Amino acid sequence: MNGISAYIARRLGITLLILLAVSFAVYVIFSLLPYDPAALTCGKNCNDPGIIEANRIRLGYDKPFWEQYWLFLSGLFVGRSFGTGAAAIFCPAPSFGYSFQQHACVTNLLGDALPVTIYLAVGALILWLIVGVGLGIIAARFRGKIWDTLSTAFVLVGTSLPTFLTGLMLIIFLVIKLDGSPFPSDGYTAPEEDFGQFLLSMILPWVTLAFAFAAIYTRFVRSQILEISTEDYIRTAKAKGLSDGRILGKHTLRAALAPIVTMAGLDFAGLLGGAILTEAVFNLPGMGRLSLKAVVDIDLPVIVATTILAAAIVVVMNMILDIAYAFIDPRVRV
Amino acid sequence: MLKGKKTLKVALAAIAATTLASGLLTGCSSGASAGTITYLTNQDAWTHADPQRNYTGRDIAWFGSYLNRTLTAYDRAPGAAGSAVVPDMATDTGRASNDNKTWEFTLRDGVTFEDGSAVTCEDIKYGVSRTFATDVITDGPTYAIGMLDIPTDPATGASTYKGPYSTDATNDVASFDKAITCSADHKTITFNLKRSVGDFNYTVTYLSFGPVPKAKDTGDQYDLSPVSTGPYKIKSYKAKDQMVLVRNDKWKADSDPLRAKRAFPDKIVVKFGVAAEVLDQTLLTDKNKTAVSLDALQPTNLTAVFDADGNPVKKYADRAINVYDPYVTYAAVNVKKLNCLPLRKAIYYAKDFKGLITLSGGQALAGDPADGAIKPLMGLDYAKTGLAEGDKDWKPEGNVEKAKALMDEAKTACPELYARATDPARGITYDTRDTEVAKKAAAIWIAALARVGITIKFNFIESGKYYAVVLDATKQGDLSAAGWAPDWANASTVIPELFTQEGGFPMSQNWDDPAYPAFKERVVANLSQADRKKQGAEWAALNQYAMDQQWIIPGVFSKTQEIWGSKIGGAFFWEPQGSLSFGDLYTK
Amino acid sequence: MSLLSVRDLRVEFKTPDGVVKAVAGVSFDLNPGETVAIVGESGSGKSVSNLAYMGLLPASKTTISGEVLLETDSGVVNLIGMDNDNLRKIRGKDIAMIFQDPMSALHPYYTIGDQLIEAHQVHNNVDKSVSRDRAVELLALVGVANPAERMASYPHQFSGGMRQRVMIAMALMNNPKVLIADEPTTALDVTVQAQILKLLSDLQARFGMAVILITHDLGVVAGAADRVNVMYGGRLVESTGVNEIYENPMMPYTVGLLDSIPRMDQGHGKRLRAIPGQPPSLIKLGEGCAFAARCERKKELPEGTCDTSPELKEVKPGHLVRCHLYAAKGASK
Repeated sequence: MNGISAYIARRLGITLLILLAVSFAVYVIFSLLPYDPAALTCGKNCNDPGIIEANRIRLGYDKPFWEQYWLFLSGLFVGRSFGTGAAAIFCPAPSFGYSFQQHACVTNLLGDALPVTIYLAVGALILWLIVGVGLGIIAARFRGKIWDTLSTAFVLVGTSLPTFLTGLMLIIFLVIKLDGSPFPSDGYTAPEEDFGQFLLSMILPWVTLAFAFAAIYTRFVRSQILEISTEDYIRTAKAKGLSDGRILGKHTLRAALAPIVTMAGLDFAGLLGGAILTEAVFNLPGMGRLSLKAVVDIDLPVIVATTILAAAIVVVMNMILDIAYAFIDPRVRV
Repeated sequence: MLKGKKTLKVALAAIAATTLASGLLTGCSSGASAGTITYLTNQDAWTHADPQRNYTGRDIAWFGSYLNRTLTAYDRAPGAAGSAVVPDMATDTGRASNDNKTWEFTLRDGVTFEDGSAVTCEDIKYGVSRTFATDVITDGPTYAIGMLDIPTDPATGASTYKGPYSTDATNDVASFDKAITCSADHKTITFNLKRSVGDFNYTVTYLSFGPVPKAKDTGDQYDLSPVSTGPYKIKSYKAKDQMVLVRNDKWKADSDPLRAKRAFPDKIVVKFGVAAEVLDQTLLTDKNKTAVSLDALQPTNLTAVFDADGNPVKKYADRAINVYDPYVTYAAVNVKKLNCLPLRKAIYYAKDFKGLITLSGGQALAGDPADGAIKPLMGLDYAKTGLAEGDKDWKPEGNVEKAKALMDEAKTACPELYARATDPARGITYDTRDTEVAKKAAAIWIAALARVGITIKFNFIESGKYYAVVLDATKQGDLSAAGWAPDWANASTVIPELFTQEGGFPMSQNWDDPAYPAFKERVVANLSQADRKKQGAEWAALNQYAMDQQWIIPGVFSKTQEIWGSKIGGAFFWEPQGSLSFGDLYTK
Repeated sequence: MSLLSVRDLRVEFKTPDGVVKAVAGVSFDLNPGETVAIVGESGSGKSVSNLAYMGLLPASKTTISGEVLLETDSGVVNLIGMDNDNLRKIRGKDIAMIFQDPMSALHPYYTIGDQLIEAHQVHNNVDKSVSRDRAVELLALVGVANPAERMASYPHQFSGGMRQRVMIAMALMNNPKVLIADEPTTALDVTVQAQILKLLSDLQARFGMAVILITHDLGVVAGAADRVNVMYGGRLVESTGVNEIYENPMMPYTVGLLDSIPRMDQGHGKRLRAIPGQPPSLIKLGEGCAFAARCERKKELPEGTCDTSPELKEVKPGHLVRCHLYAAKGASK
């Protein structure tokens, strides 16, 4: 469809501009923070202005803002060297900088952390969509009946239990206190390393993360279905003599698809920025841990990169959603 | 709790009864050479594995036990004996000359890196040179920069030597080459210092005075793969995952009397990123019987392990300890502003020690009221000052009558300051970190001092900027929360640091005090005192002197709690590093 | 026997405020090929009465009683009390419906072809291509140009009038015996209204179906209906032939409705009269005449007359009125 390709091309262009603006904004914000990046490199016991000044020059923090931003941007495309002399480290493009605190190119840190968070988020997403949408449908279909009541109880528990507590309880009861527990107690295993172990190490995190979301989605899907059920076109479908199952399966859910996809897309994008609590409880080396540690340690290059990445994910997800609408909702296409 | 800026954990001598029931006979003989010890920590990785950047007592103890040998080291023994310096890579504990400005150490035979190549004087010299590359080798102790006889740029105060990575033509390599020299047989290393350092052989217990093979140095990245000289070597190390140590087959036990016969486990694993509660539960339930926590127990779990007196309950009697950590907390008094001894003493007597200690968990676990800047752990250097529990006028909740009497004295002795302190609109100021606990502590302070008519106003400073503000003499308030741990087992890293203008932590700003010149003179003299016992007695006396002047309002001698699995033997608290003696642990 | 016979239909809703008696005993008959208009304000029960027996009201909150007898191919059935699955087989097949707002009544995400075919498939076990042909044929019949191509269009790609034509096509897919047209022109422009009414009437002739035309606008009834049922407060208040209602409206409410229609012969100067007051609350409806509060002629009656509800009476042949004014005698002017 020609209209769609033009539409996508236009959205891509806008997205790139937004990302550039976001990177600039993030860079400005962090350059305005009351932290002296040179002093931060000097170590915890260092009040020596000589060392701080020397580091400022050696690390390029004495350069004007625009030059620093330009170096950052050009690093994204051609890579960049950090440090001087024999100790210089080159981070190839796309370079988001070098973390002196974690001794690694920031791009590599992101490259290590992002897949973990993606695995976590995708698995949880699938789980919570199945459970949340399923329960939501059941609750709406049997509104006021026992199933509806049970799902309301599930929603209440799911939305009021903090993720941290859910995760901790799962770990304590299913890993630590359960003899012969199939779940590993020592955190994450990469899928390429041992896929079976990977699955075992991810099941509890998936359940933990999906639990809270499933509850929210149950409530959301139920209310969406009930709301859509009052639409005129659902009455039309009934008047046509369609069965309840067909009306729900074809007409109601089709109409609920757009809001569910929107919500799932945005929640998913938010999660890719890092599921801090779940990652912390289950010791998963994902984006949440990376961002949190960077903030705690004031690791500026990592903070800048994770912030830009999180923003980029949201911007790109919005683009994907907009394009998805074009497929979901014929009215958007024109 | 208010913690010190220095994170080093060191302490000396008696007090804390740390001789642990099981396993500890002579520290070694009952250990079996087998098994795997698993360390658990909430940290994502070691703060630093690079010897020149390692500056935390626990980490120095760990790496020093397994991987990094140094010229001299603390003896691996419980109690005060652990604070004795013994030879490690060197044949003796160093030979001083030239008024303690020249120190010479000779390497033993058979000391090698993990690839089998011999450790030479040049490797140590290279290792020390890295300390000067302050833009790369961050966070480490900078004693080499402060002590070695290398000129500083008069304009910036920075060393003219910029470390081994600098390609700058002005890099003063020549001065560094003169400051550290090697003998022709590469066995003897000589340090030329710019001032007398009587305890330089303690200084070199720091891993930062250890060897690094130049060919393996990867600058910042050396932090990920340091080369071992000890009985183990790194098999793998991945942040947020784990570190695995295996035996270093090139290590020769006969070159290493300190570690010989004590390299027990076949394998050592460090699990990073374990959630704090998960970590505590793993140990409390003894899920992994050969696990050892690298972290302190969480406050919420302390009551499960320790009784009201701070002793481990029966279930954990063999595998938990509650001991002094190396810190002393206090309120630094800005003597320039509070130049009125009766007022300072009134604050000390009015302070509600009991309320503040209860706030941080009670005396049994949080720590005891401090009577000075030197902790009893410091053995030779500690003597009771007659403050706190040694003071008949002192009361845990504050002695209002005594404080009021001192305020009356202040009224005539220093009327202006008295007027400010008692004026609700002005009052005196107290700098502290902006945390929830600090806010609760502030309420206790305000109520306590109000009883004697003193108004105290709190200045809450963002945690990350705290010391940047209070160490700025122009920004510091009347009182400032502080904490300090000595860098090694000598109060030379306490008294001069805290109470002299040249010190690293001079928050008392006491150099205009009439009592200061005499004090300063005695400090300088004592730094060169060769007789360690006399030196210790003098530090204790100078601590007493500082307390008599009330240059600080003491806080607590704080405590730490550690726990390990039931199948771990050999555990004891290694006082100089303020941690378990990791190298002595074995699996039962 | 008529095609559709509604007998004493009552519909009540449970609401948090109380029980709403939306329809309180309505009876009427619909003969084959006949068009009956049901006229009233919103809340008069005119839509609800028809939605109710079609099973299109939420079952959990609605109580329905009475009888609705429909003559089907397999004999006479009572739609009230029929289980949903059987009722479903009648909906869209024997009785089809079109609604007020053709935009919201069509599913926005499906092509009209899809929606038309579905309407046929659900009641006919035939190949999809048969349903497709039928759909194209009906689209052509209702006046959609290029019907085969427009099958792939979405509702939003049609104008309001065309959408209503599509709705009509969809309703006719199964040759229904009865078409319930619930305010079919209300949402449309005046010119389009006439077209749609004309179309409905043409199709009615062609298909020979009976039509229930539900509207609040007596104006649209004139050329379209055979008989007019006026509803107020959940009851029939007047029922008669279409000419009689314009020539001789009896119930003051009917008179009011007629006065509120713009008429060509009235000229520009005269203002339209609205019926004063509000429709009654169906929760608090008491024993008295539901219209009394708004009735301008109640002063003609003795005090207290309106405290009782009048009966529906045939005051002249084929003209039923529920009004105290006509209680004793025939027409009084």
